[in-house]
Amino acid sequence: MSARPSTRRSRRRSRSSAGPVAVWLIALLVALVATVQLRSQAEVERSLVQADPSTLAFSIDQLSRSNDELEAEINDLTNQRSSLQSGGSAAADQALQAELGHLRIVEGLVPVHGPGVVVVIDASGLTAVDLEDALNNLAAGGGEALAVDDQRFVAGVPIVQTAGGVTVGGALTPPPWTILAIGDVTLLGETADAMTQQLRSDPRVRQATYRVESEIEIRAVVTERPFVYGAP
Amino acid sequence: MGRSQPLSTALVALVALAVGFLLAGQVKAQLLTPSNQVGRSQALIRSVQDLERTNQDDRARIEALRAEIDTLEATAAGQSQTTEGLKNQVADLRAHAGLTALHGPGVEVDLTAGPPGSDPSGQNRNLITYQDVQDVVNLLFASGAEGVSVSGRRITPVSSFTGSEGEVIIDQGPPLFSPIKIVAVGDRNGMEAALGDANSVPSLRIREIQFGLALHVSGGPNESLPAFDGSLEAPHVSAA
Repeated sequence: MSARPSTRRSRRRSRSSAGPVAVWLIALLVALVATVQLRSQAEVERSLVQADPSTLAFSIDQLSRSNDELEAEINDLTNQRSSLQSGGSAAADQALQAELGHLRIVEGLVPVHGPGVVVVIDASGLTAVDLEDALNNLAAGGGEALAVDDQRFVAGVPIVQTAGGVTVGGALTPPPWTILAIGDVTLLGETADAMTQQLRSDPRVRQATYRVESEIEIRAVVTERPFVYGAP
Repeated sequence: MGRSQPLSTALVALVALAVGFLLAGQVKAQLLTPSNQVGRSQALIRSVQDLERTNQDDRARIEALRAEIDTLEATAAGQSQTTEGLKNQVADLRAHAGLTALHGPGVEVDLTAGPPGSDPSGQNRNLITYQDVQDVVNLLFASGAEGVSVSGRRITPVSSFTGSEGEVIIDQGPPLFSPIKIVAVGDRNGMEAALGDANSVPSLRIREIQFGLALHVSGGPNESLPAFDGSLEAPHVSAA
């Protein structure tokens, strides 16, 4: 009998202290989550606040273009999904064949053609970094398929400075370089124009020209390397 | 006693709420640097943030759609050997295009900008540029990388790098800022040796000494790369 009241008291004590403790624990958790969230927001805000207006304007231009491309991809994927939902394996075969063809183009595994620009750079003393920059500029400026001399270029094909000169995908590629870029000719024309102007101001460069072509063919292809170390 | 307990609990909750609001208010206030330049840039910043949100949403939709398509194709492949064969070929090409997550031995490269003001010429050579990232990625591929990601953005065959001072843009992604983390899966020994070569990425090495940039390399037995979640559209190119 005497034990009961004390048990009741201790229960009441533990219940009365457990409530505020739980509230404090929840409050602490909420505060922690809020702090983490706000901190990550703060990082983004700070990096943007540090950017000057021209950088921000550049970002807006890039993001607008990017979002247009993403929208186009969403439309394509939505159509692909609809045809798969309605068609069974015949529709799947058709969609897979189309994707095979597209991925072979993107990965540089098949010869391609289309409108684009031809850039010719003749120089002595240009290095792998200069060629890497030129190809990257054209890829960023609307190039969808690229080749330099007889070498197909996609990101992942290494450009290396060796004792014998610049190699592209392991093949020696000495200047003058003739770069073929297939893609949106308006964008590529602007990019090639700015690029060749800048190159002409480089004392190492003897010639830097470009021309827009309605039809360019790239016959060079990349050889696919199987994964040795990586696993999907 | 019975009434005072819920009252004290409510009081504690109110105090906790007030502390939360004060904390949030304080941190938010610290985000805004009181300067005229920031005031002028605020509209631009808001535009960038809106576009970034759209970008993120679109990427999430693309990821979800690709997963749905994969499931539908797998179902169709279960009904036809031809479809199964095609699906296997596509899976291989998707993996090489960076459309599938990849894991394996590799390296992590952390690039961090030097402290502000460490370039007295005002040319901001202490910042990490897109060319730095491009150079490291090229070096990794040249020394045995089978796949690379930059701050969570997977490099694909059609990837390109742009940006301006201290800002790195890869493909259709939002701008990235220092610190930049580059992860590569492939020949770990080859990549570590290339990155350890004092003559590699000379521009970064020089600025590391002069302006305090940091290039930190670590290897791991099981690095992971995310799948590419953007667009690989190439509307102007056709197979010859």
